[in-house]
Amino acid sequence: MSEKITINFTVNGDGDVREAVVGQTLLKFIREELHLTGTKEGCEIGECGACTVLLNGKPVNSCLVLAVELDGKDLVTIEGLSKNGKLDSLQQAFIDHAAFQCGYCTPGMIMASKALLERKPKPDDEDINEALSGNLCRCGAYQEIREAIKASSRT
Amino acid sequence: MLSYEYVKCTALNQAFQLLEKGEKVYPLAGGTDLIVGMRGGKFAAKMLIDIKELEELNVLKEDDQGITIGAGITLNAVSNYAPILKNIRILAEGCHSVGSYSIRNRATIAGNICNASPAADTAASLYCLDAVINVCGSGGSRSVPVEEFFTGPGSNALKKGELVSSVFIPKPYPQGKGIYIKASRTGSVDLATVGVAVQNLGKTVKIAIGAVAPTPVRAFSVERAVNENGEKDWAKAAKLVHDDISPITDLRGSREYRYHMVEVLVRRGLEQTMGV
Repeated sequence: MSEKITINFTVNGDGDVREAVVGQTLLKFIREELHLTGTKEGCEIGECGACTVLLNGKPVNSCLVLAVELDGKDLVTIEGLSKNGKLDSLQQAFIDHAAFQCGYCTPGMIMASKALLERKPKPDDEDINEALSGNLCRCGAYQEIREAIKASSRT
Repeated sequence: MLSYEYVKCTALNQAFQLLEKGEKVYPLAGGTDLIVGMRGGKFAAKMLIDIKELEELNVLKEDDQGITIGAGITLNAVSNYAPILKNIRILAEGCHSVGSYSIRNRATIAGNICNASPAADTAASLYCLDAVINVCGSGGSRSVPVEEFFTGPGSNALKKGELVSSVFIPKPYPQGKGIYIKASRTGSVDLATVGVAVQNLGKTVKIAIGAVAPTPVRAFSVERAVNENGEKDWAKAAKLVHDDISPITDLRGSREYRYHMVEVLVRRGLEQTMGV
């Protein structure tokens, strides 16, 4: 069995201390140790973006980060966006604009979009295309996703 | 799950010792190539040494000699660094071509060249800028011109116990226009099928190409025709690039397609930087 290392971090605003197995990805750690299954596993090689989370505020592919690298960091997953049972305005905009069909890419799309809106509150198409360059939607809801992000940016 | 040791380094010396003593010890910075490569069986690591938060490797500064980009600096940080955006467009474009936005939040320019893919997107631009790779180890530091750093597909000039501390872009920067043009199967995430960097140096031109030889290469034949023989017909000059490359067929494109695309992209690059 692999070595374990104690890591300190915050997840969705709360501090936590856990044992992380060396060799485990952040993606597996989030799903199987923290039991936050909103973050999805897709390609596991950084090409699809379904596993996108915010690490110190920046969108990263959690399949390409090791759980032990979470030590000392701030993690936000899709579960961290709603407050007191109320959806984030970006989540609501995705629903209002039907910005998904199967929904598998949605958590990653929303996390990448959330980071975009933080650094650029009024993004244009080019900004959106760049921010989502690592997020695939096999249903092809790209147009609706763009509209949802723009709608959210107006609220 | 893969089994290996993980050490978060707190000093450069610690990293040197671990690299020197151990077998199959890999430095970890962004991890975007390393973690994929380990999962695919390309790297059989026994130990990862995490160097990305070492202070010495997190330098990003410009002085009167040029720009130093530490090994811990991400590609997004490089392509958004004001002096690079303003004065060295070709490098911003090269860095911006790697992977996707979220990959570039982790991946580093030093990692891109250490991985030594012949298709490394930053390499062609670095060739055009005469970049210098600063290498350090317990035996001291040395500097390697970027064109000597790539020694073959996946292999570089690092010796056992050494790691790249920074990438250096010397002044004066080229005054003319420089661009990086990438042909790939998808708009993002994919590696280059062919990547061409063309830099106008005032009266002369410098051209470097990725994914058409065991390492990134200079288009010396084209450069000679333009710089020494005064060739102004860019289509004619671009044809000469066939003498500079030895592409292979792989999943991204056939050998013949690469020959064709290189010529097209070199011509476009010349048109866009040297004037029609």
